[in-house]
Amino acid sequence: MIITQRRTYLNKICKKQGGKMKRLIILFLVAFLLLGIGMSVIASPKDTIVVGLKENVLSLDPANHRNRTSETVIRNIFDGLVTRGPDMKIVPEIAESWEWLDDLTCEFKIRKGITFHNGEALTAEDVAYTFNRIMKEGGMDGESSPRKGLLGPLESVEMTDDYTVVFKLSKPWTVLLKMLPHQQIVPKDYLEEVGSEEFRKHPIGAGPFKFVEGKLNERIVLERFEDYYGGSPDLPPVGVAPLKTVIFEILPESSTRVAALLGGGCDIIQNVPTVDVPRIEKNTNSTVKYSKGTRAYYLEMNLTKPPFDNLKVRKAINHAFDRELLIEMLYNGEGSVFAGPLFPYEGMFDTSLTPYKYNPELAKALLVEAGYPEGFSLVLDTEIDFKEPAEIVAGMLSEVGIDCTVRLWEWGVLKPLLLKGERTLLLNTWGSSILDPVGYVDAKFLTDGRGNYSKYSNSEVDEAIIEGAITVDPEKRKEIYKKMQKIIHDECFYIGWSVNDLTGTSANLINWEPIPDSRINLHDASFK
Amino acid sequence: MKGIKILERILIVIPTMLAIAMLVFVLMRVMPGDPVDKMMGESGNVSIEEIQSLKKEFNLDLPLFEQLKIFVTGIFHGDLGTSFQERRPVWNIIMEKLPATIELALGAFIFSLIIAVPIGVISAVKQNSLIDRLGMAFSFLGISAPAFWLGIILIIIFAVNLNVLPVYGRSMFASTPVHITGLYVLDSILSRNWLALKDSFLHLILPSISLGAAQASVITRILRSSMLEVLRADYVTLARTKGLSEYIVITKHALRNALIPTVTVIGLQIGTLLGGNMIIETIFGWPGLGRLVVTSIFNRDFPVIQGSVMFYALIYVTANLIVDILYTYLNPRTTL
Repeated sequence: MIITQRRTYLNKICKKQGGKMKRLIILFLVAFLLLGIGMSVIASPKDTIVVGLKENVLSLDPANHRNRTSETVIRNIFDGLVTRGPDMKIVPEIAESWEWLDDLTCEFKIRKGITFHNGEALTAEDVAYTFNRIMKEGGMDGESSPRKGLLGPLESVEMTDDYTVVFKLSKPWTVLLKMLPHQQIVPKDYLEEVGSEEFRKHPIGAGPFKFVEGKLNERIVLERFEDYYGGSPDLPPVGVAPLKTVIFEILPESSTRVAALLGGGCDIIQNVPTVDVPRIEKNTNSTVKYSKGTRAYYLEMNLTKPPFDNLKVRKAINHAFDRELLIEMLYNGEGSVFAGPLFPYEGMFDTSLTPYKYNPELAKALLVEAGYPEGFSLVLDTEIDFKEPAEIVAGMLSEVGIDCTVRLWEWGVLKPLLLKGERTLLLNTWGSSILDPVGYVDAKFLTDGRGNYSKYSNSEVDEAIIEGAITVDPEKRKEIYKKMQKIIHDECFYIGWSVNDLTGTSANLINWEPIPDSRINLHDASFK
Repeated sequence: MKGIKILERILIVIPTMLAIAMLVFVLMRVMPGDPVDKMMGESGNVSIEEIQSLKKEFNLDLPLFEQLKIFVTGIFHGDLGTSFQERRPVWNIIMEKLPATIELALGAFIFSLIIAVPIGVISAVKQNSLIDRLGMAFSFLGISAPAFWLGIILIIIFAVNLNVLPVYGRSMFASTPVHITGLYVLDSILSRNWLALKDSFLHLILPSISLGAAQASVITRILRSSMLEVLRADYVTLARTKGLSEYIVITKHALRNALIPTVTVIGLQIGTLLGGNMIIETIFGWPGLGRLVVTSIFNRDFPVIQGSVMFYALIYVTANLIVDILYTYLNPRTTL
């Protein structure tokens, strides 16, 4: 009897506890379902744009980075003296006009009535301060700016009155204006008051959008600046931006960016992989926009190592590599083949040059002449990002008897070996956002240049590179670069091409076109 | 006696951390790749003077031993250095990222328990039944499927095709909760912002499942096998003969005992969840410590890598220590 009573009592207690537990579990599950099911993406209002960036933003201080993505965000908060339109033409922005007083001096007149986001007026003093902060060693409260190199031989920037500044160069430098869109004007008084560290947390510029909040490698939110002066008169419409809110989301994984565009979470995404183009175009809510690439893709041969110390072998490689087919296969034909070292759509390109034609039979004959009738083996080095083009190149070379294997590297590991001249064949890219030889040929082809992986050294070319950078007359410059292009073309060690940039956008985005320098200028953008 | 032993174990953590710090420091310097060069990118030109001046600023021009001295002295003063790329103190950067990583690890942990405990128990109780076999098949899948693959598949199904869950990030812009702890779900509850709660919870689902799937599988298997063992024990038979209902026998008598070995595994899994999230954070655009480390390694941002690796090491060492201490309490026969 007692046992039965105890058992009933025990069961009762346990059931009671179990019942409580059960109720809790059910409650939890119901809450889970209520929260999870019926998810509706909180619709972005029509005046909010979300941009998916491919990499971290490193800084919101225009002087404190050397990175295109950071500049993309910065140039919506800050304006420069001059800017570029989708056609890459330099047009005035904060500067009203400019005049070259002589080969070394350029005077800029500053537009009146421009205010920073804190209401302070922008004057010549801010302009001079901006450039001196970059040029001076330790100019950012003891730290040096990594953007000094982008100002070439600029010696000083001085204000002559409230709305006039004079730029002085130590030697002629023709690309000054082309380089200036990459520098944005900062407010002197505010910066001096709060210091660089605080400025980076709460940046204040004179651009179309003001900074609201954000973490550099997460999300950056900007809001329309209601007192904006209107931007460059050469890039209409002029006025306050139609969009109220701009959100930059950092999405390093490309499949995530594409999914975000397709799912409506992003309105613009950087760097669409070619494989995803059909998916995006099939979707009625999204589309892909193309702009001319400003990165040179290249196959570069080390001239100090056999077999590439032999011109015939180098020529054979040029004839064995079908760049048009590669562009067709990998990038749906969205790209251009180089004849010589320069982009065929830049001003200094020598139009009389033609690319080496694909001709495997000629390539084989050249290899025989060079003493390699049986071909040879070699390793093609590249980064993981260029695995596909490298494999296609290896396949093409194997057709003429060259046994080519692709080796994928992490760039930080490969670069020191390349600079020491220890590798043979490389596939990689080099950026030239201003589409001018300066900053590109001096890095790639000057003796001991920063990116001269072929170990190329030619006094005539060196001379042309140095001369070309300081020659002011465009026709003379063209002549100088023409000579350089011909020599490099004939030496056959550099096979270049470019690939158009692919940007994914929402189908109802209007008044926005990608610019070749990868900037995403949202001043004019709006939605249908 | 036990107290002294525990104190001893805690003190050992200090030289361990120091050794790890030095090892990471040396490995980073041995690794090819120049931080200043990486900073300048493969674009445009840079003067030699500019590179020299930046190297000087980052102390990279000093002999290795001097650099190590600065680093170690810094650690003792609680200074992990300044990031080359962002030019901000490493400590601030890590603290900014940590809540996101903790929230994701907790999400994955809760998900793995919700899945693992019922399946583990039912599989053991109904051994060899269809449920058991299905459960084991799923747990096999969970272990075998790489997290990044699972993540992408889940994004395609739930975010693109069904469009019911968000693709990336921790919340929508408009519904980010007020910063209190940095854990969005908790912050939204504390600030009674229900819209933010819904939003941050929805953002947490896919990354938690992707990260927690493998852990769920491990816990399911361990729980199942220890349940099987316990179910055959005498005290379970006794509980049954007392006439207790099967539900009570399993939850009160068997599960409680089967949980002892499982807790050890769970403790160690927390370390893995906090440290194994680099790929998941990259795929889901989750702004945590894992993504920070991946980016910093590619950029050769030495101070950030050193700081974050030390942080990871601290998490692992602490998790191990706690499990060891807990174990002595759960099973008094073990000693430290």
